[in-house]
Parts: sequence; C-alpha cells; structure tokens
Amino acid sequence: MNCIRRAILALDYSMGHHFLSRAAPGHSPWQPEGSCLLQGRSQFPRGFHSSAARLTSDSEQVPMVKPPTVSMKALEPYEDFFEQASGGQRDKTGFSRAVKAFAQRDMRKRGHVDFIYLALRKMPEYGVQHDLAIYNLLLDIFPKEVFVPRNMLQQIFNHYPRQQECGVKVLDQMENYGVMPNKETEFLLLQIFGRKSHPMLKYLRLIYWLPRFKNINPFPVPRPLPKDPIDLARHGLERIAADLSARVTVYQMPRPEDLGANPSQPHIVGIQSPDQQAALAQHNPARPVFVEGPFPLWLRDQCLYYHVLRADLLPPEERQEDKEIGPERNFYYPMQLDSDLDQGPWDDYEFDVDEVEEGPVFAMCMAGAHDQATLAKWIQGLQITNPALANIPVVFRLGAVGGELQLSEHQEGQGQHTREQEEQVSLKEEEKEPSQTQIQHQGQS
Amino acid sequence: MSCGGVLLLRAVGVGSHRALGALPQQRLAAGSLRRLLRTGPRRSAYVKDLFLGKIQKKDVFPYPEVTLDELNDMKQFVIPVEKFFNEEVDSQKIDRDGVIPQETLDRLKQLGLFGMLIPEEYGGLGLSHIMYARLGEICSQDGAIAVTLAAHQAIGLKGILLAGTEEQKAKYLPKLATGEYIAAFCLTEATSGSDAASIQTRATLSEDKKYYILNGSKIWITNGSLASIFTVFAKTEIIDSNGFKKDRITAFIVERNFGGVTNGKPENKLGIRGSDTCEVHFENTKVPVENVIGEVGDGFKIAMNVLNSGRFSMGSLVAGMIKKLIGKTAEYACTRKQFNRPLSEFGLIQEKFALLARKTYVMESMAYLTAGMMDSPGFPDCSVEAAMVKVFSSEAAWLCVSEALQIVGGLGYMKDYPYERYLRDSRILLIFEGTNEILRMYIAMTGLQYAGQVLKKKIRDLQKGNLSVAMEHVSAILRDSLNRKVSLGLTGRDGVVHPSVEESANRLEENVYYFGRVVEVLLRRFGKTIVEEQLAMKRMADIVINLYAMTAVLSRASRSVHLGLRNHDHEVLLTNIFCTEAYFKNLYNLSQLEKYPPENLDEYIKKAARLVLGNKSYTCTHPLERIF
Repeated sequence: MNCIRRAILALDYSMGHHFLSRAAPGHSPWQPEGSCLLQGRSQFPRGFHSSAARLTSDSEQVPMVKPPTVSMKALEPYEDFFEQASGGQRDKTGFSRAVKAFAQRDMRKRGHVDFIYLALRKMPEYGVQHDLAIYNLLLDIFPKEVFVPRNMLQQIFNHYPRQQECGVKVLDQMENYGVMPNKETEFLLLQIFGRKSHPMLKYLRLIYWLPRFKNINPFPVPRPLPKDPIDLARHGLERIAADLSARVTVYQMPRPEDLGANPSQPHIVGIQSPDQQAALAQHNPARPVFVEGPFPLWLRDQCLYYHVLRADLLPPEERQEDKEIGPERNFYYPMQLDSDLDQGPWDDYEFDVDEVEEGPVFAMCMAGAHDQATLAKWIQGLQITNPALANIPVVFRLGAVGGELQLSEHQEGQGQHTREQEEQVSLKEEEKEPSQTQIQHQGQS
Repeated sequence: MSCGGVLLLRAVGVGSHRALGALPQQRLAAGSLRRLLRTGPRRSAYVKDLFLGKIQKKDVFPYPEVTLDELNDMKQFVIPVEKFFNEEVDSQKIDRDGVIPQETLDRLKQLGLFGMLIPEEYGGLGLSHIMYARLGEICSQDGAIAVTLAAHQAIGLKGILLAGTEEQKAKYLPKLATGEYIAAFCLTEATSGSDAASIQTRATLSEDKKYYILNGSKIWITNGSLASIFTVFAKTEIIDSNGFKKDRITAFIVERNFGGVTNGKPENKLGIRGSDTCEVHFENTKVPVENVIGEVGDGFKIAMNVLNSGRFSMGSLVAGMIKKLIGKTAEYACTRKQFNRPLSEFGLIQEKFALLARKTYVMESMAYLTAGMMDSPGFPDCSVEAAMVKVFSSEAAWLCVSEALQIVGGLGYMKDYPYERYLRDSRILLIFEGTNEILRMYIAMTGLQYAGQVLKKKIRDLQKGNLSVAMEHVSAILRDSLNRKVSLGLTGRDGVVHPSVEESANRLEENVYYFGRVVEVLLRRFGKTIVEEQLAMKRMADIVINLYAMTAVLSRASRSVHLGLRNHDHEVLLTNIFCTEAYFKNLYNLSQLEKYPPENLDEYIKKAARLVLGNKSYTCTHPLERIF
C-alpha cells in the first residue's frame, strides 16, 4: 500500500509540476504548496487525474488558462468592469462595491478565479490590502460547496486545483500583508473547499504562525502611520531616542496655509531627554557642538529626515571620569572593599564587546525643511531649556537630502560665535572624515 | 539616676565591670574621654569573627547581667515611668491630633526622659546602654513619644555627646538634659539620603573668620519645629594637605535663635503621627566657629558614628511594644468563642502566639546582649551588632504587629482599636535610621572588610599556587566532605551553653563554620567586586543576623537555666524552636550562596527587574488579551 501511495505521489508531483509549468509559468505558489503537500502528514496525496478533468471543465468556463501574457490581456474585461463597478472611488467602499457587483452579476460566478486574481492585484491600489473584511469578501465570491470533495478519491487527489490555488493565493496575500484570518475566514473556507483542502491547510498554518509573529517587533510601528507630519515626527523621534523620559517639544507649528509642497514656515519637532540636557549643561563652551544631518529614518514606506545636535568625543585627557566613590561617600555603609583581590575568572559573564566610543548626542529634531535657517530656529528653541547652549558655538554641517551624506560647500562652519569660526573650521576639517563616518554609523543603527 | 547611687554592673565570668546607671564621679571623666570620636580601627566585636567561621565566645557568654542593687534601682525608676505611660498618655488622641500635648511633654521632661543618655555631671540621668534599652521598652507604648525621645537623644544631641568639646557640652547638655532645649538631627536633604556627596547645604566662613554662614534646607527632620538645637551637616570648603580646595562635610550646633531658621509645615505621615516632622530651612544663619562639632571637615565621621550608635535600642523598644500586644491579643483569643471553642484552641491561632513569643524573645535577647557589649569596658565597636538588632527587630515588629492584627481579625482593622495604629507606627521602623536594605549592606560589607583583610594572604597564596596552602585547603574540603562534626567550643568539656540547648548550639556551630567557608569562597570568587553583588550580600547579612540571634538566645537561655529563673523551660523551648528554624533558613541561604548565578536565580531575578525597569511598567499583557 505504502509503495503504491509513494508511486502515486511521485507521479502526482511530476505531473503537477509539468501541468503547472505549462499552465502558469512563473506562478510559484503552487510549487511550495506541492512540496508542503509532500511533507504534510495529514494530507493525502492528490492525483492529477481529477484535476486534469477539472482543467478541461475549467477551461470551458474561463478560456484563458494560458501563459500569463495572454491571460493579462484576457483579464482586461474584468479590469474595466472593476473600474466601472467601483464607481471611480479608490477606497474601501469602491473596492467592496466592485466585488459585490461581481458576486451579484452572475449566479454561476463565471470567471471568478480571474476576478479574484485581479482584485488581489488591485488591493494596494485601493489601499485595502490590510483589511480583513475585504479578504473575506473576496473569498465569499467562490461558490459554496461546489469544490468540497465528496468522496475519498476526490480528497486524495487534487480537487479543483485552480480554485484551490486561487484560494491559497488569497491567503498568501493576507500572509504577506500580515493580515490575520479570523473565524469567518475559516467558515468561508470550510464552506468553499472543505476541511481537507489546500486553502484550509494554508489557513491553519497562518493561524499557527501569524499570531506568533504579530508581536515579535519590540518597537512596533503604528498602523496606519499618522498623517500629520508633527505626529509622524514625534513618533519617529521617540523611536530614535529610545528613552522613555525623553520629552518631545514642538518648536514651530506649520502655518495652515503653508502645508503645501514648500512651506515657508516648516514644522520643527525636537526631542531631548533629561540626561542629554544634563550632558549639554556640562559641556565645555570652548568646544563647539554640531548640527548634523539630515539622516534618513524609514517608518514603513515613509522616509523621515532628522538632525542631531552632537559634540565630538572629548580627548582622553579632558574627560571627566565619574567622580570616584570615595571612602567618605555613604553615611551608612562603606562602598568599597579595602582589598586588592580581584574577581575570579568564573563569575565573569560579560561578553567581551568592543565598544566604539562616540561623542555625545544632545538633542534630535525633525523639521519640515533642512536648511540652516530652520535648524537655527530649533537651536534657539533649545536655548530656552538649555541656557548653557547660548555660550556654546554651534556649527552646522548639513548635507543634502537623499540618504548619503556628502561633504559639500555649504557645510562651512557657521558658528553663532564668529570669533571662534576659523578655529572651528580647521578643527572641523581635521575631524571631518571620522566624525562623518561615525554619524553615518549612528544613523544606520 | 534618681537614686544617684553608685551602680556597677558585673559581667559574670569575664570579671570585668560594666557601667550601668551613674558611673562613680572619678570614673566618669575617664569614661567620657574614652567616648571621644572613634576614627581608627577599634576592637572588633563578636560578629566580625563569624565571617571567619569562628565564635569568640568570651564576647557573648555569659549573657550580660546587672547587679541586684542596680536591678532594684532600675525597677524603682521604671515604676513611675510605666505608670505615667499607662495612665496619662492617650496614644489614640496623640495619633488623631497629630501632636503630643504640651503637658505630656512637660511630664516627660519632669521624669528626666530627655536626658537619659546625658552624663550626670551635665544634669542627665547618665544611663548605661542596658538601662536605656530598658526604659525604651516602656516608652515604646507610644510610637510618637518614643520617636520624639529618640530623635532628641539617640541622634539629635549624640553629636555633641560623642565629639563635642567640654565647652559645648557644658553649654548645651544641661539644658538638653532637662528638656528645656529639644534637639534635632539635620542630615537628610531632598537630594541626599545616604549619599554624602550630594549634600547641598553649605556653610561659608565669614570675612572675619568668626562665624559660618549656613544656607540650605533639610527635609523630614524629626522634632523640626520643637527643637531649639540642631545638629546640622553642611558642606564647607577646606584646603587639604596638597593645597587643593575641597568640599568636606562639617557638623555644626545651630541654635534656633541664631536667626534664619524656619520650618515647613508638619508632614502628614502614615504612622507616628504625633511626632513632629517637618522641613527645616537655614537662610544666612550665622553659626559661630566654636559651634563646629569636632574638626572642620569631620562631619562625615560624626554623622556615621551618630547613626551607628543610635540603633541598638530598637530591639527593646519593639519587644516592649509586642509584649503589650501579646497581652491584648491573648485576652481576646481566650475569650472570643467560635463553634463553642475559644480561638486559643485553634492551631493556626496558637501558631501566631508562638511566633510572637519567639520573635519577642529573640529581639529582647539581642538587644540586651548588644547593650551589654556596648557597656563593657573598652567601648567596643558594636555598630554591626546594633545594625543587626535594628534589622531583625524592625522586620519582626512589622510581622508581629500584622499577625497580632490578624488574630483579632476585622476588629484590628477598626480605628477604635489600637492595632491599626501599631501597624502604621511600626512601618517606619523598617525605613528610618538607615533602611534595612542599607543596613544589610553595612552588615555584610563590614564583615567582609574584616574577613578580606584576614583572608587576603591565604587567598593570594592559593591563587599563586602555593602548594602547602593549597594542600591545606584541599584537606579542609576533604574533611568537610567526610561530614566532620563541627565543634567551636560552645558545647562539650569547656562548653558554655546549657545541655538543654546543646543541640541548638551545635546547629549554630555548624552554621558558623560553613558560613566562614562560604565567605572565603565568595571572596575568592568576587574579590572586591563583591560590592556589586548585592543579592549575595543580602543573603550573607541574613545569615549573620540569624547567627547573632541564635547566639543571643543561646546565651540568654543558658544563663536562665543556670540561674533557675522563672519559666526558664519556656525560654529553652523558644530557643530550640528559633534555632532550628534559623538553622534551616541559613542552610538554604548558604546553599544559594555557594551556587553560581544561573542556579541561584540571581541572574534571572535581575533580568526580570531590568525588563520591568526598561519599560517603566509591568510588561506582561493582560490575561484577557487575545490576538485573533
């Protein structure tokens, strides 16, 4: 029995492969499904026999089981239909209207597989790719109970392969967009394909894996992303700062009428944590601080640009180490053991990590414009909460928007204190290379 | 003392004289001289040797005693105080009003309770530590009064007593002793709890170098608005031996009438509501240079000494309180009937009474043993012992009061009964005079400091691979593994404990021996980085507190049996229960200390804490949360 089954299996695999490569070259979803099928313990192998029969009946219904180039052309009628039925509305209402129109158009649901493929392709265009209800609506197009295998043989062999493939494809797209199926999906799939079917198997796998991946990101990005640039900037800054005590300040609100492409009064949103504030207060005014940027930050499909206010790493001789905890520090107990014994080798659980030392970052901001005038306003705003900043020369090192930071002419040191300008420039030139690489590194991380 | 007689305390067996009550005039001067500020290393007391796995039995055996005359005087003195507290102090009213009535304060002054620790030559009672502990037992009946008195004399004027000049003592102590002046101890600031470096209050020397100008604010000052004399710690600029300017802490005696001293409003507290706690502000207060306590820049040592010396009395204080509670709850348990049986017949209620009795017995033993050690000649450094008494008794107080409240059930929750007040009052014990966490670090660090110095050479030799030391070490391990019976001389031919508690003594010896071994292993493992291993240090402190408690009860029970005191069989019973219990707790802690981090959970515990602290919130999702 076993060997017979294996023979059928092998046959099925090769034939299925062959059939598929003929039917839809480049259509990969079947292939993993096929291999899954080989591995799946509960799945009976399905023969090509019935599916071949189905193929003919299918091709009668929908005459375009042809290479994709042909099918693309043949799909066009539905495309027009889709456009018409949606009433030109590129949103959820339009989409669901189109789908419902198709479902009601024809009792026999002629061409539903192709329509579903088309709808799946159209989803991002209508912005409904994350909407579970739409997926359920799509699945609802399938005629119910027709594709459910009725006997053992149908169950063993691949029953209505094109429809099953299409169902799997819908679930596949859900998986790609991280949409979790629900009970309704399960119910629909049961009605359409029955329990022992590929889409059902796919559903079970989704329901097993997606919940486990759903909260895997410790720094979730909200969905949908806020539309307001200030909210977006706030979110991005909080993400970079990674400090719960950091405070976001909106230094400048955009003028309502200037929300257009090139606002004359762009928004400026900054973030600073108390630690950064303290570090800035202790900064030696003789050393300049730098405004650098813009560095890109991607939030999903949105790219934001941020600027940092930072200083160079102090040379070792100027560094103020944390004051040693002296013997007369704690009123209640000695905090040092008067002993020269060191830790034994067995209790050292720290990994040997080579840490790259970087200069301190004092604040970060996101602004609607990346020019020096806008950023100078940010620095002015910072001076309210950081009075020490008024005495520290600020050097602007601004690059061009577009990812890679270039050392261009307009990075000339333009400190607010001109008396130190020359010195700053020379200082800057010495340190240009290393500091830029550091910043890039930082931006990436 | 009221009788003013010459009272001597005889420490039996040692043959030394311990001072109780008033010392003879001719010895007083010498005594107070010896009480000068201690800076150098002092004679180590009993506990430090426990870290080496040794028992210095002559320090703790026999249990300290007072002579019959002293005892009688003591009893005579105690009677009026007890009567006063029983009849005239209305604790409920004090708690409700949040203030101690003036007449009560006046009566306290009349009784001389404000000058208990001040030598007789300055008009105080000049009590010994034992005697002070005994009186504390009675004062504890009202938490607010006990705290007011303690803040006055255990810390408030202790600075003058320990390190003041003759002139300062002559000027201030007589008035402080009568209670005309009340003292307060001003150390804590909004930014500075135990961290000396973050003290903000500053004293700057005036142009003519005659006085300091004091500026700053102190918070949570007990007696803040009552006091006329403040011991204030402030930063002063001094020039050290290298010619650099440095900030050092200096202690000052500040009178209220120096000007610029103001109070905040009284704090609204959970417990000890009658005690007076508020902020104290100093604004350009002129303090004459002669009011500096000790040397300029000595403030840190003075603060440490004052804090260390004030703690031992908490044991007897709490014992007094719980003894009273036992009386009240026993009365209730024996009369209240459920199912036709009094509560006292139920096992779970009996268990609670056994706990109350045991804890009281232990803390009482510890307190008087420590007080006796402090009174012994040479003024040994008993600060670790005192810290242990404080930790043990404050935790026992919280547990016992809570159990007592549990015995009376819902009644205990009502404001009409005193139980909830005791509960609120006792909560502060875990916090003030050094939180228990900090004191555990102190206990462990002081012991390790000592053990580290002694064991340094051995560990070095071992690490270098000195063969003879290594052989010795290996043979010791072999001997241990053959389950050698530990004997440190408490029992047997030269034994000091009574045979009825012999088994407990053996348990103590075994614990002490293995504790010594574990300390050595830990020092070898961590060296000076053990400071960072707070969880291990806490375990060590717990063990050593138990060891000291076991010692105290063994010593006391042995004495009681030897003398044939009334109900000494009860003492033996309590001793054996406590020692067995503590023995197993110690074994558990020792086994945890021997393990490496993944096994003893320390690493996981720290990780769990890091996760919570990283998020600044509880991290787990709600149990009703779902994904699909």
